[in-house]
Amino acid sequence: MSDIALNSVTKSFGGVKVIDRISLEVKSGEFVVFLGPSGSGKSTLLRMIAGLETIDEGTLTIGGKRSEHLAPGQRDVAMVFQNYALYPHMTVRDNMAFGLRNIRMDKDKIEERVQTAARILEMDALLDRRPAQLSGGQRQRVAIGRAIVKEPAAFLFDEPLSNLDAALRVRTRVELAELHQNMKSTMIYVTHDQTEAMTLADRIVILNNCRIEQIGSPMEVYLKPASRFVAAFVGSPGMNFLKADLSGRGAEQVSTLGNGARIALQVDLPPGAYELGIRPEAIQVTPSPADTSGKATVVERLGDRTLVHLHLDDGTELIALDGGLSEVRPGDTVHLKFDTSQLHLFDDDGMAHHAR
Amino acid sequence: MTPKTVRRVNWIGGITTVLTVVIAVLWAFPLYWGIVSSLKPENEVVRPFIELWPDTLTFRHYWFALTETQIGAWYLNSIVTSLGVTVVTVTTSLFAGYALSQLRFPGRTILWWLILASFMVPTQVLIINHFVLMADMGLLNSWAGIILPQLIHPVIIIVYKQFFDQVPKDFREAAAMDNASEWNVLFRIYIPMNWGVTTALSIVTFIWAWNAFLWPFLAVTKTEMMTITVGITQVFDAFGVYYARQLSAAVLAGFPVALAYLLFQRKVTQAITLSAGIKG
Repeated sequence: MSDIALNSVTKSFGGVKVIDRISLEVKSGEFVVFLGPSGSGKSTLLRMIAGLETIDEGTLTIGGKRSEHLAPGQRDVAMVFQNYALYPHMTVRDNMAFGLRNIRMDKDKIEERVQTAARILEMDALLDRRPAQLSGGQRQRVAIGRAIVKEPAAFLFDEPLSNLDAALRVRTRVELAELHQNMKSTMIYVTHDQTEAMTLADRIVILNNCRIEQIGSPMEVYLKPASRFVAAFVGSPGMNFLKADLSGRGAEQVSTLGNGARIALQVDLPPGAYELGIRPEAIQVTPSPADTSGKATVVERLGDRTLVHLHLDDGTELIALDGGLSEVRPGDTVHLKFDTSQLHLFDDDGMAHHAR
Repeated sequence: MTPKTVRRVNWIGGITTVLTVVIAVLWAFPLYWGIVSSLKPENEVVRPFIELWPDTLTFRHYWFALTETQIGAWYLNSIVTSLGVTVVTVTTSLFAGYALSQLRFPGRTILWWLILASFMVPTQVLIINHFVLMADMGLLNSWAGIILPQLIHPVIIIVYKQFFDQVPKDFREAAAMDNASEWNVLFRIYIPMNWGVTTALSIVTFIWAWNAFLWPFLAVTKTEMMTITVGITQVFDAFGVYYARQLSAAVLAGFPVALAYLLFQRKVTQAITLSAGIKG
């Protein structure tokens, strides 16, 4: 277990900057998830920590040791690849032992570590099989086992669940969480799947356009997004965005929506035009007139909850979350009440200001 | 699928089969003719009409080739030189292909273009240079003299490079995370992952080397140092050429290659397919 610190690291491919002066500290034993869309630089950042990509500028410290110039094998980190990268001609045992043999570890010790990892991952019976004889989930376990046997300072996961089917992904996700709880190792995990990020992470690092948009616990980034990008990227269904004019000050503050609806709120912002953000679960469908109303266009019944897609008078599209036994039907006029403590206003720069 | 389409597909299949059989017979006939002629007495061979089966079956010519010539030494020379050419060519091509595919070093592109350009130079153009060089080195009439000029096979390097290019880079990166040296990456990962191509290329190189005639013919003048392909030209005596004897020696010369083809049919086909698009 070890701290990992990135200090103002930069990376370019040719003339294209892919990581722009990123600084980040990962505490010992922490599970940190890099979350972002394709091309945000999250995988590159992980590969820079692993040593598979060079660091153009800035420093990397792993366990207090400057590591940006060390070869990947000397950084005391282990990586689990998206495609597992299991050597197809080696048995599971040999795949796991390969890295240890390369550092000339004693045979008995290698066998002991392989057996321990196999026991942790419940794959004792698979040790003499080759990767081709394993299912996708079993291969994933071997890839994790190959990392575990090294007893590294940190585990690096590069979208490790993306090749699994939906059911197996959920199961493996839970197993990974258990593994982290049992081993208490430092783990850095790259994904574009927000559910994986929300369920696994102690802290999420949201990357966009080569930079960090926000670092925070899953609930922090969900409830208090730092920017419009984070607000839009995290959460499914996504946050609703409406045009809003803020007027008044202090207790008199009011936000006027495009359809004329006026919503009282408390936010530290001067009057002006903003974008108002509100999550579907913060919009309540009410039987009597409330903050505003709209026409239901599509009603998606998900069993435990119902997503009501609406059009306001001015054409603004909105999604509200109703109970599983919602009586709303497409075409109905629906009254909506906003939870004003869960409103966010975004300025022209996309920075978020949260209502109190 | 309607019955009409089924019938048309069958017709196409039938015509293709008949054509394939006809071409195969045309191709195989000289082989058959050579083997049959080697089993005929000499006077039957020179008869002016085609006889598909000998009137008198004889193994006399084979006995002559095996007992009255130095065919044992020729076999040995062929085996040693062909194995030498195969081992050295495949090993060096493996290294060159790996370096060109996986390593980044100054001059890599130029080296690659040089290897590609070497296709434009036929071996025959270089043969005088090779002869002078081998003569200067005192290697004529030696195994080394036969082997060395035959080690130039750019096609093997190119095939290896292509195969190594196709290995997903994840494996190389996983090996880097596993502390593997470049040597380990090549010998523990890349070669075992491409055993199929190594086997195929080894077989085809061995066959090329075994069948080589021009260079071994020039490099060797002593009968006991000849390879089998050169040696069979020596199966004559003071009374001139005996076709059946010559053919029996040729059959014996071709026998190991034929055996290799039979044993490793799929690998040979694979190797020929691999190099077909490349070999100049």
